[in-house]
Amino acid sequence: MTNLTTRLAFYPIILLVYAILLIPVVVVIATSLTVQSSPTLPTDGVTLEWYATLFQNQRLIDAMIVSTIVACATAVVAGVIGTITAFGFVRSETGGKETLATIMLLPLMISPVITGVAFLRFGGLLSIPRGYPQIILAHSILALPFVFLIVRSRLLTFDDRLEDASMIMGANRLETTLNVTIPVIAPAMIAGMLIAFVISFGEFTATQFLVTPGTTTVPIIIFNQIQTGLSPEISALATTLVAIMIIVSVLGDRIGG
Amino acid sequence: MKFGNVQLPELPTISMLEDRSTPKLLMAVGLGWLTIFFIIPVVVLLFESLNFGEGSLLENYSTALSGTYLWTLGRTMAYAFITTVVCLILGYWIAYYIAFKAKRQMLMLGFVLLPLWIAIIIRFFGVSLFFLPTGPVQQVFGTDFGVLFSTSGVIIGLTSALLPFAILPIYNSLQSIDEELVNASKILGATPIRTLWTVIFPLSLSGVVASALFVYILAAGSFLAPAILGGPGDFMMANVIEQSFSYSIPLAAALSVVFTVALLILIGIFNRYANISEVLSDL
Repeated sequence: MTNLTTRLAFYPIILLVYAILLIPVVVVIATSLTVQSSPTLPTDGVTLEWYATLFQNQRLIDAMIVSTIVACATAVVAGVIGTITAFGFVRSETGGKETLATIMLLPLMISPVITGVAFLRFGGLLSIPRGYPQIILAHSILALPFVFLIVRSRLLTFDDRLEDASMIMGANRLETTLNVTIPVIAPAMIAGMLIAFVISFGEFTATQFLVTPGTTTVPIIIFNQIQTGLSPEISALATTLVAIMIIVSVLGDRIGG
Repeated sequence: MKFGNVQLPELPTISMLEDRSTPKLLMAVGLGWLTIFFIIPVVVLLFESLNFGEGSLLENYSTALSGTYLWTLGRTMAYAFITTVVCLILGYWIAYYIAFKAKRQMLMLGFVLLPLWIAIIIRFFGVSLFFLPTGPVQQVFGTDFGVLFSTSGVIIGLTSALLPFAILPIYNSLQSIDEELVNASKILGATPIRTLWTVIFPLSLSGVVASALFVYILAAGSFLAPAILGGPGDFMMANVIEQSFSYSIPLAAALSVVFTVALLILIGIFNRYANISEVLSDL
């Protein structure tokens, strides 16, 4: 095939795929800049007015604060537990490890709607307080498989002899962990935590069952607005969310490599 | 034990260190967390789906398996299937291009990955804005094609959201194909199409299977696509479970169990052809 026919064959579909992938995000960002009072493309001028309204709307600011607190806590919980577990899986010699690893991935296979319903009922039974504790625990479950997979795949290339060397040289288990192991796997752990942050920040389906009036997250607000009345303010809110997520992903990429 | 060219003495300490039994404990941390906050809650849900009051024990199941609910289950599976087929066709095409033809592989791959970082609700919101009566489609074509609040709206939304999950595994499998095999096929006189069909495609099958699995599971479990982009007749299982939860928790529980079992049966059938845990490890 000549170069030209290759291009002619591939380009239309490539354009279509990238359009399908990227247009939704571009439209959200573009409509946040409109001068109209409904979210349309800014064909007759551009304004940041909707961002100004957004940052005067206490309800939306509160939601952003709640989302940030939840996402940070989820990152810590899922990050720590996912890392510890990944260590266990890589180091252990137990048979049936593969089956157990599949169990770790179960939250990916079961619809988050079921996770949400199940967690709400169970949280009630165990009287786990509603609001932050329930939301953070549920998010930690949804993010755990991702942290686990990322840290595990990075750990597979970890050279065990570094630890052995440290211990032969006389360091004890704790010193070895703190001075050798943690620094080596920190990038993977941080990358996993950033992914957990992003997952938690954008989660809607399970979260909708768990929020309380005082702990409404941003995706819940966006969903309610889509159902009731669209305003460019919601595009501005969504764009702010996109900006935060992309910043976090770039950080993750830098740190995680 | 060798280190470079130097043969190190076998130290007894090393085998002693290898004996540590802590890894099992570390594994137990995550598995325990998952058991307490995920598996037990789901099992509790299973318990709640049973009817211990008047009537038969499985009363909620006879409701969950009747009329509209069964239709919803069928519709869910059908929508997920259509989405999977569309994603695989588009995904293979683009993955093939990136892996073998593209000059700026990393950039093209970056744009595939980018949407994964953006909350799914924002992407669905963007799709709905795109097809809104005041949106760009209307502005350009003068008609909105009736995409919004219809089945095609749901499929377009799901395809848009899940395409990266289709592209990545296929790309990975194509990337790991030994180029010598492709060259050999060409040297032996195979046409590009024949090379694709008899050499490349079979070798990329594991990636295709992984893609299909991801996309199918995620599409079937979607709540937001029907809720934001679908019409009243496009509700999928997740929506029906959410809806029934507000008036009958046992019914919502029974629907959850039916849905999960149906999906697990499908995954089980699938598992006969490809090992799920291997497939998921590729993520």
